[in-house]
Amino acid sequence: MAPPRTYHCEALILKHVPFGEADLLVTFFARERGKIRAVARGARRSNSKLVGHLEPLTQVNLSLAQGRGGLDHVSQAQLMESFAPLKDDLQAITKGFYLAELVDGFGSEANPNQPLYQLAVAGLNAIGQDPESELPLRFFELHLLKVSGLMPELYRCVECRTDLAPGSHRFSPDVGGCLCPDCRPAEAHVRPLSLRALKVLRLLDRSQLREIPSLKLSDSLAQEIKSLLSMSIEYWLDKQIQSNSFLEQLHREEKSRVYS
Amino acid sequence: MTPDAIPAASPSLARLIQELNRLPGIGPKSAQRLAYYLIRLPSEEALALADAISAVKSNILFCQQCQNLTDSSPCGVCTEPQRNQEQICVVEDPMDVLALERTRAFRGLYHVLHGVISPLNGVGPDQLKLKELFSRLTQEEVKELIIATNPTLEGEATAMYIRRHLAGQELKITHLARGLPVGGSLEYTDDLTLSRAFQGRQEL
Repeated sequence: MAPPRTYHCEALILKHVPFGEADLLVTFFARERGKIRAVARGARRSNSKLVGHLEPLTQVNLSLAQGRGGLDHVSQAQLMESFAPLKDDLQAITKGFYLAELVDGFGSEANPNQPLYQLAVAGLNAIGQDPESELPLRFFELHLLKVSGLMPELYRCVECRTDLAPGSHRFSPDVGGCLCPDCRPAEAHVRPLSLRALKVLRLLDRSQLREIPSLKLSDSLAQEIKSLLSMSIEYWLDKQIQSNSFLEQLHREEKSRVYS
Repeated sequence: MTPDAIPAASPSLARLIQELNRLPGIGPKSAQRLAYYLIRLPSEEALALADAISAVKSNILFCQQCQNLTDSSPCGVCTEPQRNQEQICVVEDPMDVLALERTRAFRGLYHVLHGVISPLNGVGPDQLKLKELFSRLTQEEVKELIIATNPTLEGEATAMYIRRHLAGQELKITHLARGLPVGGSLEYTDDLTLSRAFQGRQEL
């Protein structure tokens, strides 16, 4: 018997682009199927039954039909969660786009990763609850590396494998995490790692997302952690995160408004 | 499709197919069909198309006021004396101006952004005609800015960015109503649209 040509899935819409006259090419991350790209016919028409259900950063139930040319077709979409609080704030929307870009980059087609799906949904909820806080994004970045099997080593030196004692350590995504003061691998792109930053990274690693809002960081420490995680993410993706530049611009504008 | 893939020994045909293949929504097969259609057209019709493309490329410019595409700047809409000079409607694309003009519901001026803020595609405020909009607002006697970006997440982000940038100024900023499309169905409407339609309900 031929396998069924239709299937259903729960998914997070990551992005879409116009396709043909009135269609959309939708990229989504399905809970049980991983990243999928599919065509939603007529979805750009205002009276389409799909309109509004396929917007980026929404959790949906989809019905799809397998296409002949490699692209499946969305036949039905039912919105499950629109993350409405997130969509009322420009910073939160931009953070949501950043999260979606990372899921798109780390998620692979036909490779299910349920922990990544759950992490992304929890991350969007956390951003919506506290649009000003940067910590939900830092938590997401570190745990994204973890659920993708790329978690940097935070407890032992990646070269000599000894436990890291308090001191001046260094960090390098090339070698997979922290280095003790004695190890200096050739050609690794290393940067200093303060003890406070190491402690926060370990705390983020061991914490649940709901525990994060109680953590208060100085600007310099927050910047150090952000920079270390961005370096790891861009190393593994081997490209710059597009949405990061607009996020940075918003931060700069916000700061200049506060100080003016 | 590369010129080498064209079986007939015709570099000019291969080039035409290659150029047509660059157009949005035109795949290699459609490019071939269009190319053979153009070959079969009478010469004057095919050349009229080439002439129209050439004229558009050499004559079209941005209107210095509204940034719409025009043959002469300022454009016909900006110079029309009956237009309400105190209202500016901000749209994403020139095609949106045509859509709004068809309704005859708006008789003010326009400002075309030529896109929306799209962080995923690396499009920020600097890539849009936002600087021109903000400078226009300081020079003209504008009382209401109507933001008519599409009700997509990127359109909403663009609207929020404009509102944030103009916060504190004496200017009425509105955006088009969100709600149910004519001919639509409640059953298939998403929750966000439905809740906004409820918020914007009107007395009968």
